[in-house]
This record gives sequence, structure tokens and C-alpha cells, in this order.
Amino acid sequence: MSEDDTTPETSGTAHEDVATDGGSDRDVIELPDQVELPRMLDFYELQTAETTQISEFYDNLADGRLTTTRCTECDELHFPPRIVCPECHSEELEYVDLPHEGELFAFSTVRAGAPMGMEDEVPFVLGIVDLGPVQLSARIDNAEYDDLEIGDPVEMKVVEIDGPVDHERVFYRFEPQE
Amino acid sequence: MTRNVGIVGGGHTKWGVREASYKDLIQEAGKAAFEDVPNVTPDDIEGLFVGSVQPERFAFQTHVAPMVAELIGIDVDSMIARTELACASGQAALRYAWLAIAAGQIDTALVLGVEKMNLPRKYDAEAQTSMANVMDREFDGVNGFNAPPYFAMIAQRHMHEYDTTREQLALVAAKNKTHAANNAFAQFQKEVSVDDVVDSFPLSPPLCLFDCSGVTDGAAGLILMSEEKAREVTDEAAYITGSGQTCLSSNSINNLPSMSAWPQATQAAEQAYEQAGIDDPLKELDVAEVHDCFSISEIVEYEDLGWVEKGEGGQFMEDGRSQLDGDIAVNPRGGLLGCGHPLGATGVSQALEVFNQFRGTVEPERQVPDPETGLIHNLSGSASVHSVMTLARERL
Repeated sequence: MSEDDTTPETSGTAHEDVATDGGSDRDVIELPDQVELPRMLDFYELQTAETTQISEFYDNLADGRLTTTRCTECDELHFPPRIVCPECHSEELEYVDLPHEGELFAFSTVRAGAPMGMEDEVPFVLGIVDLGPVQLSARIDNAEYDDLEIGDPVEMKVVEIDGPVDHERVFYRFEPQE
Repeated sequence: MTRNVGIVGGGHTKWGVREASYKDLIQEAGKAAFEDVPNVTPDDIEGLFVGSVQPERFAFQTHVAPMVAELIGIDVDSMIARTELACASGQAALRYAWLAIAAGQIDTALVLGVEKMNLPRKYDAEAQTSMANVMDREFDGVNGFNAPPYFAMIAQRHMHEYDTTREQLALVAAKNKTHAANNAFAQFQKEVSVDDVVDSFPLSPPLCLFDCSGVTDGAAGLILMSEEKAREVTDEAAYITGSGQTCLSSNSINNLPSMSAWPQATQAAEQAYEQAGIDDPLKELDVAEVHDCFSISEIVEYEDLGWVEKGEGGQFMEDGRSQLDGDIAVNPRGGLLGCGHPLGATGVSQALEVFNQFRGTVEPERQVPDPETGLIHNLSGSASVHSVMTLARERL
């Protein structure tokens, strides 16, 4: 394209390409257009033994079991799982199974303003599931907000996380029982 | 406490979507605070406390307290710190400045709250990601739990357990946004009706868009002095009579004490009331700036700050008892719903509002008649932390 092509019809879009065309005598500092997926976007980064001491929770989840820690000294059940009991500071904890079925204690839906990486899923339903021993927050899949009521039975499913790392990663979600 | 501490001056920036940087906001608020009390200069400041929550994410800046010292020209003699306690960061800064002066460590402090939250449009989701990180990121934020769905569930549980109505929530938003319509600093300066609230976008039901505070740029500053020093420079001060702050070993969803009550607020209020010698807060408090991050929050606070029986908060609103001419004027500033919520600045702005109400310097449409006592309240994150401070025009 020659400079003669900068007609009134086309010049209107020129500024949208680059602010600096290198045509001046000034030195140019180049910035990258994007960076590698920052950790901020990856809510699932802490699952392996290299990154967290509760990796057994994720190993169990990959095997289809929802578990958490219980203190063998004071019997306190924790959620989220711990490495030190917050009640008695014992490190003698064991993983125990949690129920996979529970009831919706509360729920809402996100119709706008989702965090990065979740925008494409909007609107989505999320809630607090009462499993009996614990109440945990969770995404509620295969559900419409208007169809749900407090107390509805829900069951856990394990989902796989796709990218940006090579190793297998999982998380739990819930959905209405059939 | 050994010494009385007074707020002797304060300043405020315009709040909203500002064409201004984080550093611009600091300078505007600092200048305004010192202009408010000409007998005090930056040279008098011995301690600096900066409430700011996520400058690392919103402004890509850390170590912000020294930046504030530089921008406002303060040589800090004794104490300098930034407080980060999510939405309660501003009151935390104020509380620690009060403690430092009350303990005799310093005589004069600047408290400055600042947040720059609005990023260029294409980064909207980045701000929401930062807010999701206020919750337990690994187990709650991961599910998309940022503030609107979380407080929507508080509303749902409160409606379920106490028959609080959708209209009662809307009355809170309409009241506060209408106050903000007469506040020159507020982000949202438009009167809003109950129908406007209910008909606004159903963002996270049962909460609609107008039940939610905004994403706000803003700053506010306060100058605190020991009573002895304060009386040398001014005859107008708001004395801090009590201050409480609580967290019940809980932050993530499973460990919260309740989804419809905040016993932490009750404990923090009881601490403050006891220090202030307040037996009947509803009778003895004239004005309150409480943390209405969402409309439901204010209703829960009427109850858990001890003003009305549990479950009666919605009726308290419906009966007009929190209006300017009610039992206690709640959020005459316009609240977080009307003023917006630049996280670290909110508590600072609330205390300044109480001081201005005492001085009679707010817009006449929202002036409480001759108030002598006030309260500010903040919560943070999953409402796991609550802070309550009581103030008086004269030491009680």
C-alpha cells in the first residue's frame, strides 16, 4: 500500500491499528500484545503435591470421591480441608468421605459481572449446598434459577478442567437430582 | 482508653467513574483534608494510615502508604501503615489511627482511604475477578462467588426465614439513593423510587442492579488529633467514643455462623456501645452510616446492631424508622448504594459524613436536625469481619 492510498475514506480507521508507526525519529519501546495466561485467571492452580499439601483432596476427587479432613485428636470436621486443625492445632488429620447428595440451602444466579474466564458461562447458577456435615458453595449445573427452590435435592458430579496446564485437574459441581 | 481522640478535619474527592489515576485521587483527597482545617499542616502529621484494598490489581501498585506520604508531603515521625481488610479497610485505618493516638504514641494522624476500581471498559471482568478473590479463592471464588450472588443468598435466606419482602429491600435502596441525589460527592445523583429498584436489571436475584453498590473510584481523608491538641486548633471535632471489631474464625462459606445474621456485627456494636456508655442505641444515636453494600445488608444491620428484634429489619425500614425524620437517620450520605463504594475509602467517608452532620455542613436536604451522636459500621468479604465506631459531637 502506498501512502497515496490514505484517502479520506480509509484514513478514519488508521488510528485503530497502532498509535506509533515507527515513522518518527524517536526510539520505539515495544510492548507485548498479551502475556501468558496469568495466574489470576486460573482458579484451579493449587491441586498437585508440588503446589499444595491438601493434594489428597484433589486426588480423591479425581477418583470420584468428595472428601475432607477430620482431626483424629479432637474429632473436628473441617471444610475446606486443612493441614492443621484450627480447633486444636493437631497435624494428625485424616481424609473422610462426604455425602455426594444434599439440599440447596441458598442459590442465586450471575447474569452479569462474572469473573474473567467465566463470562462465557453467564448466566450460571451457584448456590450453597447443605450436605449435612458441611455446607459448601458450588456451581449448580443443568439448572435454571426460576425452576429452583430452597431444599431442592442436588447431587455432586466431578468435572474436568481443560487447560492451561498439561496434568489432569478436576473440581466438583452439583446438579439437581433426577 | 487513656486519651480522647477527635476528628478535626476531612476532605473528599468526587466519587464515580473518574478520569483520574490512583495517584490523582490521593492528591485530591489529601489537599481537601488539609484545606478543611487550616491550622493543621502536613508537618503536624506523625502517623499515616492508608486504607486501600487492591491497588496491586487495580493500579498495579504496592507499598502505597509511602506513596501517599510523598504525594501529600508528609514526613512520618512514628507510624505508617496500609490497612487491607477488604471493604472494611477504611474503618480499620481509622481505628488504628485512633488507637495510636489514644495510646499516646502520636498526637496527630492522617487517615486516607483510596481506591481506583474502574479500568478501561475491556477490563471490566478483571475488576470482577479481583472481587471474587476477596472470598476464599480456592473453594468459593472458584464458583463465581463475588459479592452480588453472595449477598443475593443473604437476601434469599432472610426473606425465607423472616418473610422480609422484595419491596422492603427496595425501600432501602430508594432511601439511600435519594439521599445521594443531594450529595455532591456521590456517584449516583438521581432520585430513585421503589418501582425503579424492583424494575432494574435482575443482576443476581432476588437482588436487582439498584440493590447493589457501584464500582467506584474515589478517596477521602481525615485528620485525627488527641483532644488536647484538637482543642488548640479547632472547636469543631467529632470525638471517637467507642470502637469494636470482630471476626469469628470464619471466612469461607462453610464456616460462616449464619447466612441471615451477623453475630460479629452484634459483638462489634456491643464493644463500641459499652465503651461509649450507650445503653439504648436507638434512642441515643442520632445518625448512622452503615454498610449498605447491598440493600439487604442494611436490613440485617438494623437487627444485628441491636436496634430492632431479629427478623424485624424489613418492617423497621417499612415503618420509616431509618428515614431522616425517623428514630435514627441511616445513611444520610447516600450510603454505598448512592455514593458508590471505593472499598478502602468508604469507612473514611462515612466518618467524615458523621463529622459533617455534626457541623451542619452537608446539603440541607439531607441534614439531620442537630445530631450529637453517630455511628459508622463496615463489614468485609463474606461479612466475616464487622467494625463499629461511635462518635460524639462532644465527649459524652
